[in-house]
Amino acid sequence: MDANALLQALTQALFVVIFLVVAVQSVRRPLRATIDIALLFGAVSLVIAEGLATALLDITPSRVLQATAGALVMTLPYLLLRLVDDFSDVPRWLMRGAEAGLALAVTGLFAWEPALPAAVTLLYVLYFFGLEAYAAVAFVREASRSRGVTRRRMQAVAIGSLLLGLTIFIAGLQAVAPGPAGFWSALSGVTAFGSGLGYFFGFAPPPVLRRAWQEPELRAFLGRAASLPRLPHTSAIVAELERGAAAALGAAGAGIGLWDESRNVLVFSLPPAGQQEASGRAPTDTEEYEVRPGEMAAGRAFALQQPLFYENALRDDPAYADVYRRSGVIAVLVAPITAGSKRLGVLAVYASHPPIFAEDDLVLVRLLADQAAVVLEARALIDEAARVQAREEAARLKDDFLSSAAHDLKTPLTTLVAQAQLLERRATRQPGAPADLDGITRIVRESERLRDLVLELLDASRVEDGRLVGFVETVDLVEIAREICKRHDSARHPCLLDAEEPVVGDFDPLRIAQLVENLVENAVKYSPGGGEVRVRVWREGGEGRLSVTDQGIGIPADDLPHIFQRFHRGSNVDDRRFAGMGLGLFICRGIAEQHGGRIEVRSTPGRGTTFEVALPVRAEAGVPTS
Amino acid sequence: VSDGTILVVDDDPSIRATISEILRMEGYPVEVAANGAEALTTVERSRPGLVLLDMRMPVLDGWGFARGLRERGVDLPILVMTAAQNARRWAEEIGADGYLAKPFDIDDLLDAVERRYGPPPA
Repeated sequence: MDANALLQALTQALFVVIFLVVAVQSVRRPLRATIDIALLFGAVSLVIAEGLATALLDITPSRVLQATAGALVMTLPYLLLRLVDDFSDVPRWLMRGAEAGLALAVTGLFAWEPALPAAVTLLYVLYFFGLEAYAAVAFVREASRSRGVTRRRMQAVAIGSLLLGLTIFIAGLQAVAPGPAGFWSALSGVTAFGSGLGYFFGFAPPPVLRRAWQEPELRAFLGRAASLPRLPHTSAIVAELERGAAAALGAAGAGIGLWDESRNVLVFSLPPAGQQEASGRAPTDTEEYEVRPGEMAAGRAFALQQPLFYENALRDDPAYADVYRRSGVIAVLVAPITAGSKRLGVLAVYASHPPIFAEDDLVLVRLLADQAAVVLEARALIDEAARVQAREEAARLKDDFLSSAAHDLKTPLTTLVAQAQLLERRATRQPGAPADLDGITRIVRESERLRDLVLELLDASRVEDGRLVGFVETVDLVEIAREICKRHDSARHPCLLDAEEPVVGDFDPLRIAQLVENLVENAVKYSPGGGEVRVRVWREGGEGRLSVTDQGIGIPADDLPHIFQRFHRGSNVDDRRFAGMGLGLFICRGIAEQHGGRIEVRSTPGRGTTFEVALPVRAEAGVPTS
Repeated sequence: VSDGTILVVDDDPSIRATISEILRMEGYPVEVAANGAEALTTVERSRPGLVLLDMRMPVLDGWGFARGLRERGVDLPILVMTAAQNARRWAEEIGADGYLAKPFDIDDLLDAVERRYGPPPA
């Protein structure tokens, strides 16, 4: 037996062995894909068996036997097309066309006597290579679209298809242009052997190979896992975990449903369809998708706390077939994400075609879910630490406030006590002396200051209790603004009112006046160099709006988010005595919000600041109709 | 018994005025300063016999004033006056001779001054 014959025998043996393996697989796991794979190798094996039989028995194959062998060869591209459809999608018309073509071709083989005319043979060749080429291109495309183990499988299949095409091409070449027979058959032997291996590794990879192909992505994912809890948002962590799980399994996508205990639902932050994969862009929308425990694959795995594999969800969970079909989730692997006894959620890895996953992928999904549990728990600990820190910070702020409030109250009190005692002493020692007007003025001024501070503190506590709004009546915002503007108008700080029509609502007039006055006073206070104070009142979007704009020192961007918080004082405000207790804007916000409105601020340091208040008002003040 | 003035340092004008008034009525010579920097200028001009010192002030606070004195090699009796809880600790921090917690009675003020400065010059 020469090397050529040996190679041929080896190739034939390989195909038969592969057939036996995939046949067993298709019986154990009767999916369309496994059956198609078995049929493909079965057809090849039959052709080989036929050739062997005729060679061994040394008979000239009968007409019928020849036609049968030809028919088997013609089914190969059709079976390949079915396999393309098993792993991705083939247009329906092409499937039907290929089936019709195959029926015609088989009929032709048996009907034509004694052999096919050359023109018809050409049609057969076109049919064969047409489908062959389509399948090869489809697998190459699928390889470029998928990742991880699936990408490698599709690459193997694509190589197998190219080699198969080459094998048939060489056989054809041998027939029309006979050359050195040994060379050609050796070459076709090699390509046939390669295509067999390619198909086997791609369509039915042994577990060892599967795992080896999964490993690089898995390793990369585990390498990144340690740094994940430090990502800024939980949603970013979840997205990374999903990406990692999908890559490790070569899946179209993966979804993590986080357990919301209070609402008794698993919340997926994206519909588990993986449309974002197709577009190749990072998911930007945060649409939520909820699953109840016990519902669908994810809910069931969560309720049972067991990993679960639906090879074909349409078949395995028909109650939700529509949902699966709509979201393109056909094969799905789910494992609960659980840290100790704490249920965190589920990890679902899905694909739109069943043969992407294998049974033993469940082990991997479980491992990934456990890894996700570790990452999410670490995240929870980090969040908890941040919350504790925030609480401590709030407590510290409160302490700071209490000591600074105490200081602020004691300062006018110091003058009051000492000055009153001084007046008394003087009146005792010098009964006839004229009144000490300076001393009396100091007492008046400091008692007013103390009054303002005490009222400010009381208002602040009312903000917290939600009891700021007292007596409500129908009030025109424009009138309030006009009066306050007039009172604060000066040559240094001209107050300009801009209002076209009354803006009437139901407000506590004292509180609204306090709010506007506070804003105008701030505008004046923080414009030490002078400048216009513009007050504007108008209607917009069914609300009453009031804005106060100054040309003052402005507010640094870092302070803006905090200025309505209790106790906050601008970092560019050094006037400890006059800046008050840092409660003014806190009270302003309380007044706006407890009227059902809101307050916002815009500022450019060095240019000025605008505070804008929105309040609910009555409908357009038109002529009353009766 | 000291000579020199009593220097009242406080950023609050009312407190400044009231304390000086009390001391003057008893016959003490008084000078005032609105913050630590002003107080240091006064000290460079003439040596006071006692400093009544507020601690939290703009420009230069009580600690800054005490440091300024050390840098100039000047040692003066200081009475800290503060509304803060930590009056005693702050007084120790700057090596003052005592403290008065605001608000105080004028008798306490005058006692404390007399103990460190002595009676008003006749």
